[in-house]
Amino acid sequence: MRLSFPYMGPTIVYKKLFELLGHDVVMPPRPNKEIIDLGVKYSPEFACFPFKVITGIYLKLMEENVETLVTSGGHGPCRAGYYGEVHKKILKDLGYEVEIIVIDSPHDDYKYFYDVIKKLKGDSSWLKVAQVIKTIYEMTKAMDEIEKKVETLRAYNDNGIINQIWMEAQTDFYQIKSINEIKRIKNKYLNKLLQYKESIPEVDQRYKIGIIGEIYVVLEQSINNQIEEKVNYFGFEVERSQYLADWIRENAFPFIGRDLEEIKVKGEEFIEIEIGGHAQANIGHAIDFKEKGFDGIIHLKPFGCLPELVSQSVMDDLSEKYEIPVLTISIDEQTADANVLTRVEAFLDMIKEKDLREVM
Amino acid sequence: MRKKSIGIPRALLYYYYFPFWLKLFSELNLKTVISDNTSRDLLDQGVKKSLSEICVPIKVIIGHILNLDQKDVDYIFLPRFRSLRKNVVLCPKFLGLPDMVSHSLPSLKAEIIADQIDAKSDDIAQYFNHQKLAKTFNIPKREMKKALNKASSFWQRYRNLLFEGYLIDDFSNIEEIEILEKLISKFENSSKPPSSKKEELKIAEKGEVLDIALIGYVYNVFDQYINMDIINKLKEMGVRVHTFSMAAEEIVEKELSKLRKPMFWEFTNKLYGAAEHYLKNDKIDGLIHLTAFGCGPDSMLGQILEVDAKEYEKTFMTLRIDEQTGESHIMTRIEAFIDLLRLKKEKK
Repeated sequence: MRLSFPYMGPTIVYKKLFELLGHDVVMPPRPNKEIIDLGVKYSPEFACFPFKVITGIYLKLMEENVETLVTSGGHGPCRAGYYGEVHKKILKDLGYEVEIIVIDSPHDDYKYFYDVIKKLKGDSSWLKVAQVIKTIYEMTKAMDEIEKKVETLRAYNDNGIINQIWMEAQTDFYQIKSINEIKRIKNKYLNKLLQYKESIPEVDQRYKIGIIGEIYVVLEQSINNQIEEKVNYFGFEVERSQYLADWIRENAFPFIGRDLEEIKVKGEEFIEIEIGGHAQANIGHAIDFKEKGFDGIIHLKPFGCLPELVSQSVMDDLSEKYEIPVLTISIDEQTADANVLTRVEAFLDMIKEKDLREVM
Repeated sequence: MRKKSIGIPRALLYYYYFPFWLKLFSELNLKTVISDNTSRDLLDQGVKKSLSEICVPIKVIIGHILNLDQKDVDYIFLPRFRSLRKNVVLCPKFLGLPDMVSHSLPSLKAEIIADQIDAKSDDIAQYFNHQKLAKTFNIPKREMKKALNKASSFWQRYRNLLFEGYLIDDFSNIEEIEILEKLISKFENSSKPPSSKKEELKIAEKGEVLDIALIGYVYNVFDQYINMDIINKLKEMGVRVHTFSMAAEEIVEKELSKLRKPMFWEFTNKLYGAAEHYLKNDKIDGLIHLTAFGCGPDSMLGQILEVDAKEYEKTFMTLRIDEQTGESHIMTRIEAFIDLLRLKKEKK
């Protein structure tokens, strides 16, 4: 099948998965101004930002004769689980003939799930599918390991130099054919990064910022105004609440997510029940970051995001109770880079100032 | 000792469940206080205390909660509506409402009673949905169950009247249970049809009577302040108003069963079912989707309805309300919509 998928978070996972299963994969374009404008034009005004971006990507993909679009579903109550159904309507209304396959949980409708998987599996055997998933999981774990190093080192070195290494690593990972190559690539780049190790200062001189929020805007650099690089630029280390491997763990093998469960339990202090998206887990992550000694939290969310609005509502209370500064940034098509930069800078200045006063 | 009072905010699902709660609290002999009608002042208070980008209905309920607190109630009844059907929940903001209130309004004097509602149908009268309430007021289980049953059957009678075509507006201004009981009995025995079914309407201006389906949640359609009294405005212009609460459950279910995947939000599904039913109905001249600023589920529903309305060749309009809607804006839009419908009808 000639297929593609939304440029959403772990694109490399989708790409490798379908490629290794033998499909003709069209890589979706990275979101840019043109795509966002296109998406905004054909999406409902109050749809959340990720929805609009994906609409834009789909419309752009229509120029490349894609037959099938594969996307993930969900059982809500976050709106993201219903994107697929609404996109079907929009594309059909605009006159495009394209099949949108929505991967829903087998719990919701077993037969549908089975049919979808059979279609996507193509001629590959089940053993092959299992191997592919394993390969991808290992690959993302390796990538996450490198990325975490990058997020630390960038704070003390020229962003450009470290980014260069990180980009080369990603390019190499995109090319892998089998599980055996992963370790070699990983070590190659970890070694490259090792030479910058000296630049990391003493423990008491390091500042760390945790980034939490809605998964799409947290993972997708082209949407969140490269917030991590901005924070790094001011000499602060960054760690996110979500990495690629977390995403796979949560979606593909729910039974090994013990530590994720624990995070959620921490969140129950402020949000008592599961309310969709990652709202409860994000509250848990915020508390977790504080316990790990982080100096501040940046909370990212698309404008009007349902679950994250609830978590934002309780955030002030959390910030006061746990004595950790929190900056919430809503992201949509109107968000300007300079605005984000100014807010981040002011926030980080405040944290440093606060720290100095406590010392004196 | 002074009798403890319990306050109900006149917002969100109040319009759907108020006969149930009024009857329940009167059976339990609780001192009940209902917040004032939404007003500029009340809304302003709510706006000040909530996030700027949250939807209007949440701002409204925050205003009502503050209003109750100023009336010095001891408790505020704020159930956490989670689910009214297997595998379907309400909007995340409903699920997190008690959390939002308790963490963003730290100065609240009254205590929140937030029972979690997990029902299999719209009937929420199960004992386990009211345990915290029973505990707070020391109500024995047997007594609670008895009161719940009575409240449930009373609410069913109200609901049947809605299915017959009465508007929630016809009841929702009543706060006294005795008056409400009388009114419901009166309607049940009345031979006159409700206004949505009347053949002839008194119209101030000339023109044909129109049938418009006003699709929107109870807290938008029946809060006369926040929607600028749209129902009466429509009535004055010679319109029979149809709402989702008039569509029987079977109709909604039938429409929903046609979807591969229904939406995740209970009331959005109800609106969808009713709207599809009205789209197919030849008697209905047009649809108005009344939605509040920042409503997430409605952004999905609105898109679906817009596409479907095109398919069924029905005239469709989205009317968005927020905390600063000017009355003239609503008037102009409605007038233009009605003129258009009349013109279409005359051409036929």
